[in-house]
Amino acid sequence: MFDRPTSKELIEAVYLFLEERIKKELPKHLAFNVQISINILKIVMRELDKGESLTEETKQILINILGDSKKATIKNLAKEISQGKIDLNNKKLKEVLIEITKKKLSVDNPNYSTYKKLLK
Amino acid sequence: MKEELKKNLENLLKKNFNTVKVTCLEYLTGGASNETWKFQISSGSNKEDFILRRSFGSSSPLAILKSEEAEIQRLVYKEGAPVPEIIAVADKDSPLGDAYIMKYVEGETIARKILRDEKYNLVRKNLAFECGAAIAKIHKVPIKKVKGLQNKSAKDLIDQLHDAYKSFQHPLPVFEYTFKWLKEQDFGSQRYNLVHGDFRLGNIIVDEHGLRAVIDWELAHIGNPIQDLGWICVNSWRFGQSENIVGGFGQIKDLLKGYSSISKNDITNEQIKTWQIFGTLRWGVICLIQTFAHLIGENNSVERAAIGRRVSETEIDLVDMLFLGGN
Repeated sequence: MFDRPTSKELIEAVYLFLEERIKKELPKHLAFNVQISINILKIVMRELDKGESLTEETKQILINILGDSKKATIKNLAKEISQGKIDLNNKKLKEVLIEITKKKLSVDNPNYSTYKKLLK
Repeated sequence: MKEELKKNLENLLKKNFNTVKVTCLEYLTGGASNETWKFQISSGSNKEDFILRRSFGSSSPLAILKSEEAEIQRLVYKEGAPVPEIIAVADKDSPLGDAYIMKYVEGETIARKILRDEKYNLVRKNLAFECGAAIAKIHKVPIKKVKGLQNKSAKDLIDQLHDAYKSFQHPLPVFEYTFKWLKEQDFGSQRYNLVHGDFRLGNIIVDEHGLRAVIDWELAHIGNPIQDLGWICVNSWRFGQSENIVGGFGQIKDLLKGYSSISKNDITNEQIKTWQIFGTLRWGVICLIQTFAHLIGENNSVERAAIGRRVSETEIDLVDMLFLGGN
């Protein structure tokens, strides 16, 4: 129901402005914080872009390991691990942790060295 | 205010110098609870640079006093480790407050510069060895002489970290896994040495000749010394140069060569790996602490907001090391 630009397009307009026009005008310390701000906006954009589908995929993964659809939450997975209900050697658990973490990085920082390594 | 500071400095340093005139007093950095200043003393044609570090009451009950930091630096200096020479210490009830003055050491601390500038090409080749040796010298300080520091066993550190993580009620399965894993590890017979606690680029001064000084002793404590070796291997402290496991500039074999050139302590790669895993988790929890400080309005900044999204970096490093044989 909302007009163009979309929220993603609005965010992109702001970070391009910061990147192309503002950053170079500022003293080092402020330019550093502007770069951080740009990175934050890019995270938000990626989350808007893929957040919903990643959350849904994660839910399926959690249902697969925790069983119940209602119980299939990150909170409960954390609880089961801390209460020792899933053994640390459980192969499925390890795969689940790897998969979910990769999904998080795809939004938080797809350029991270270890993430890129694990994609190969 | 600056005038008053100048006077207080001159008064403190009267014992060290015949004529004391403080000039070029410059504020460098600081936070809510402490400050760092740079200044110059001229006596005759001689000009020397110094650093003042002072605190305004501790930010945490566990923070050590600046005077205690100074004492640690003095002891480390005696062991021959590269550390700025302490010139004077002020008591918390003195006009300067809890503070110390040390000689200024010229050099670079910014990680990306040290890792990328051509200027440091040769230095980088030897830096892991130098760091290993420096760390070993720190560990040699006789702990009986160290006052005011807490003894923290591996179990204490893990429990403390776990409590901090739980306080945010932000469940992270990878962290839960790692805490459980760490609690199962055998840390051997508990060793107690002086530990720097935050040895990495950013806290060392480097020039074209090599490692010049180790600074920032706020997190120093008594505990298992291998944690200093594990910490500098944490991927986040490689600042993008991931192939160089030690600090983004070197390899573990050189770190250990440097260490064993000073210390007879036998340290295995596996032990370093375990403490690297601990260190990665520790950095992840620190990211949580910083971002929640921002979220509760205690210390707002874009930096602290952004750092919350770096927790996942530590998670992927942990799954890589724990499950995929990563380094």
